[in-house]
Amino acid sequence: MSISATTEPAVKSSESRAGKYLTFRLGREEFGIRVMQVREIMGLLEITPVPHTPEHVKGVINLRGKVIPVVCLRSKFSLSPAEYTARTSIIVVQVDGGKMLAGVIVDAVSEVLNVAAADIEDAPDFGSGAETSYLLGMAKIKDSIKILLDIDQVVMASELAALQTSAA
Amino acid sequence: MSKSSDSGTVRETLSKAVDELATQAMLGDGDQQQIGALLAQLGKLAAQADSAGLHDIGLAARELSAESGSANDAVLAGLERLQEALQRSEKPVPAAPPTSIAADRELLSDFIVESRDHLSSIEANVLTLEQNPSQLDAVHTIFRGFHTIKGLAGFLELPAMQQSAHEVESLLDRVRNGTITVTPALIDVVLAGADYLKAEVTRVEGLLGGAAPTEPASNAALLAKVHDLMEGKAAKASEVSVAEVTAAAPAAEARKSDATESRLVKVDTAKLDFLVDMVGEIVIAQSMIRHDGQLVSGHAKLQRNLAHLSRITGEVQKTAMSMRMVPVGQLFQKSARLIRDLTRKSGKKIELDLVGEETELDRTIVDELADPMMHMIRNAADHGIESPEDRVKAGKSPVARIGLKAYHQAGYIAVEISDDGRGLSREKLLAKARERGLVQDGASLSDKDVFNLIFEPGFSTAEKVTDLSGRGVGMDVVRRQVQRMRGRVDIESHLGRGTKFVIKLPLTLAIIDGLVVGVGEHRYIVPIFVVHEIFQPRPETIFTVEGRKEMMLIRGSLLPVIRLYQRFNVQPRSTDLSESVVVVAEAHGKRFCLVVDELIGKHEVVIKTLGAMFKDLPGVAGGAILGDGRVGLIVDMDGVFGELAHA
Repeated sequence: MSISATTEPAVKSSESRAGKYLTFRLGREEFGIRVMQVREIMGLLEITPVPHTPEHVKGVINLRGKVIPVVCLRSKFSLSPAEYTARTSIIVVQVDGGKMLAGVIVDAVSEVLNVAAADIEDAPDFGSGAETSYLLGMAKIKDSIKILLDIDQVVMASELAALQTSAA
Repeated sequence: MSKSSDSGTVRETLSKAVDELATQAMLGDGDQQQIGALLAQLGKLAAQADSAGLHDIGLAARELSAESGSANDAVLAGLERLQEALQRSEKPVPAAPPTSIAADRELLSDFIVESRDHLSSIEANVLTLEQNPSQLDAVHTIFRGFHTIKGLAGFLELPAMQQSAHEVESLLDRVRNGTITVTPALIDVVLAGADYLKAEVTRVEGLLGGAAPTEPASNAALLAKVHDLMEGKAAKASEVSVAEVTAAAPAAEARKSDATESRLVKVDTAKLDFLVDMVGEIVIAQSMIRHDGQLVSGHAKLQRNLAHLSRITGEVQKTAMSMRMVPVGQLFQKSARLIRDLTRKSGKKIELDLVGEETELDRTIVDELADPMMHMIRNAADHGIESPEDRVKAGKSPVARIGLKAYHQAGYIAVEISDDGRGLSREKLLAKARERGLVQDGASLSDKDVFNLIFEPGFSTAEKVTDLSGRGVGMDVVRRQVQRMRGRVDIESHLGRGTKFVIKLPLTLAIIDGLVVGVGEHRYIVPIFVVHEIFQPRPETIFTVEGRKEMMLIRGSLLPVIRLYQRFNVQPRSTDLSESVVVVAEAHGKRFCLVVDELIGKHEVVIKTLGAMFKDLPGVAGGAILGDGRVGLIVDMDGVFGELAHA
């Protein structure tokens, strides 16, 4: 089966990466997703698991009549699984140019921040190749670092992994 | 040009004469003498037009004047042509430049849809005419089709199409008034004209979709053929009586078809699909309210109202779904054209038998069914049906029969493709299968199993690969396409007598009648379509083979057992088969036993695709929203069982 080239990571100039981000927490780290791609934030609801999918694809949910996939970000980023708490949320994001909706599970949602171009630095290269395509960069806000995510890469790359698993 | 002043006066005089003639002709019982005089005048003006260089007008005028004595309709038709020729002369049609989409995009898309409708009707009527060359009703319908397309093409500045349609229309007009008779050559030319227009419509569609501007294809060959036919026949006298008798009919027919057309509305399919989706959502939403235990318990009035609401939404949904249904006849008609072309090429004689053309299918299914059907018909014509000589030797009629039949049955729709040709040879199929290693020696296969071998990829027993079929890539694709529509294909065949393929499809791709089953805390939906029976097993009917595979004895047959919780990696309520429920289902033409914890109910559920992320998951066909708002996965039996078949 031919898998066409993965969606290209967003052009990484500081100017294009500046803007409003929704920040959320996973473990001890804070991450950010572009607000434009955030459709909805909701509490955890019953997820229907789908067999033969990778570990981080938790299943599907019914979003007002639409069935959308849900991905656990802790699992995706290889963090140890955690108990769901009252603050655990699902952020519904729009990916693939708005054509697809997906939910991502996060420990807690924080706030919406305006990130200036000057505050953004490129993510250091950890030498593990594909991993860094998820990272748009690092933002220095007050005294903390927020990791800016290219949510398309996070979700869509899992799609390829899912295809590869089922094809095996 | 010095001729311009001449042509100006000639045009003017002609226009006046035409107007007067038109008035008289339209009156129906206008003064025949006056008409005769006007027509004679036209004859003279025709000569003047010719010398003024207005050949088009001259020709039309001359033809019209020759109608002297003919029925009114012929005169009116001739008048129309002359009027058009006059109009055209004032606005010369430019030599075909590359078509640019200057006209309104919406007008063009309407044109594409309308033209295709007309071309479809033209084709159907031409094939009818071929069988019944004296059926002038068909000629009139075909004529009107080309006439309308000509008008539309002219309006949208598509000169090549306009000219081609005009030429064929003129040809048909001569058939109408008896100047030319219907011959196989004529049929070919008319079909060639329709094909040319079809191709041009597609080209315009491409331009609309953003392709680079291209020139229209050359219609020189087509026009040459038309002119040949037109010149070949000069005498008309003997056919006049036929023309007169039937000339009265078309006017009435035209009025009748206009009336039916006004009862129909053309709707954008996108709007229709959206409506159907939204209605589906309403059904789910009201179902969620209705089944919300906390909300309704103790409120009898509320429950009654919700029941009422549920009945209404059910009706709305049925109506919305029915709007997507189209008669399968359109598919059959495509087949008619295909068979005609196939018989011409191969020299075999094949007749097409159609039953159930009004049977309605969801439009998406009709679209998806076209390819598989065409392929199976090609196969039948190519491999199934013998040459006329061979047939006579075998004691059969030299004319073979291919039958297409569509009917509803028990919640699904069946489409049969049968032929009275050679039939499938069990020996040949087995031999080929052994050669390919698909079958072990000593394996005992039923006839049905052997026939189903033709669905294996790369399988083909054709000695020669023709350009039509025989490359061995077809039947497995056909089966996959049918399965994608959640349908299945069955084969019946008798050596020497013929073969029958039966395609069974659900009525609609959007809704499924499902059995909701439970495994642990999960709910799954099994399409009723594949379910044979459900029961609670007795321990003594369960056997284990080789310590791993399980089988169950049911009424003398040993069926493989599959535990759904194993397939889907979920926790069941119990692993003890005697506490479970067994669903006997069908996959890949074979039956097997699916073990689940409990049977929850039977529901009609709206299918929701799971999205690109879950495409091609073995065992999961999609998702559906259950009455409590949760998502239930729809089980794909072939996928669940398939893992066993290849294990």
